[in-house]
Amino acid sequence: MNKNKLVMVIVVCAVSAIFFTVIFAQFKTVEETDVTGIRTAREEELQTMLSEYKTKYEEMEEKLTDTQNRIEEYEKMITTNENDSELLEEELQQTNMLVGKTDVVGEGVIVTLTDNQEKSIEPSDLRTLINELKLAGAEAISINDKRVLNMTEIVEVNGGTILVNTERVTSPYVVKAIGDKTYLSSALSLKNSGFIDTTNKVGKSAQMKAENKVEINAYNSDKKQLSFKYAKEVEE
Amino acid sequence: MMVIIAIVIGCVIGAIIGLNIPIIPYSASGYLAIAIVAALDSVFGGITSILNKNFDMKIFLSGFFVNAILAMLLTFLGEKLNVDIYLAAVVVFVGRMFLNLALIRRYCIDKLSSKKDTNSKKVNEEI
Repeated sequence: MNKNKLVMVIVVCAVSAIFFTVIFAQFKTVEETDVTGIRTAREEELQTMLSEYKTKYEEMEEKLTDTQNRIEEYEKMITTNENDSELLEEELQQTNMLVGKTDVVGEGVIVTLTDNQEKSIEPSDLRTLINELKLAGAEAISINDKRVLNMTEIVEVNGGTILVNTERVTSPYVVKAIGDKTYLSSALSLKNSGFIDTTNKVGKSAQMKAENKVEINAYNSDKKQLSFKYAKEVEE
Repeated sequence: MMVIIAIVIGCVIGAIIGLNIPIIPYSASGYLAIAIVAALDSVFGGITSILNKNFDMKIFLSGFFVNAILAMLLTFLGEKLNVDIYLAAVVVFVGRMFLNLALIRRYCIDKLSSKKDTNSKKVNEEI
């Protein structure tokens, strides 16, 4: 009887201990569930969530690397484009200056030829002068502000009318040339054989001035277009 | 008397252990809750049987554990079937708990009133 009672006491004690353990564990779980949703979630759920996030992360990373690569490509393209465009612009400027499409300024000489009562200036005089200027290294030449290019003609039509770039020019003929002014002036003013001397010798009046700043306008004739109609580049 | 002391000691030990064990996963806490309800039902049933003087330790213990486990199994089955079977378990257990509580209440009231009667009888006798 006594033994039975002892067993009963122990059993009751154990049962109540188990019962209250479970109850308090449950209390605690319920209390903390809202705060720690992730901690109390089932392992499988967490695993699926984790794998989802992993795949998402990988996708995002791929996208990121893709985008970065593209950005790099674009940057490279931009730099090469910049280089190209700079070079092109430089070349264009050079070519424009060579062709005579730009206003230019620099040191040079101004030669003025005037008709006088005895003799008038002939186109051959202008041609000689321009050839001599070219020989002396003139970089830009104009006659009465008509730019002299490689297509420019200096001709006499109807006996007395001089055309430059198909436009009429009259006395005084102001020929401007940009180049080394000492070269130009010394080439023109050689004793006996220089242009100024020879011209003055035959009774035509020619004057020359060396200047530090000579301005020459761009080619601006409307009548004669600077374009190639028949000549074509030879393809290699 | 010894039994009451044993219950108190068991409760204290259980509370201490319960407060110190790690948190149970949330999905498992549903099963635990239904098990607790079943156990509580058994406890009240036991008290009622004690008051009716037909308490049997074996019946109490078997009811305590088997009811809890059965309730958990039913809940599990309900989850697998996508039916909230645990609701039925809760309704049954709580209903029985109320029944038992009513019996306990009646018993207490009867005892109190009978005590009063005896007391008044004693007073009458003294007078």
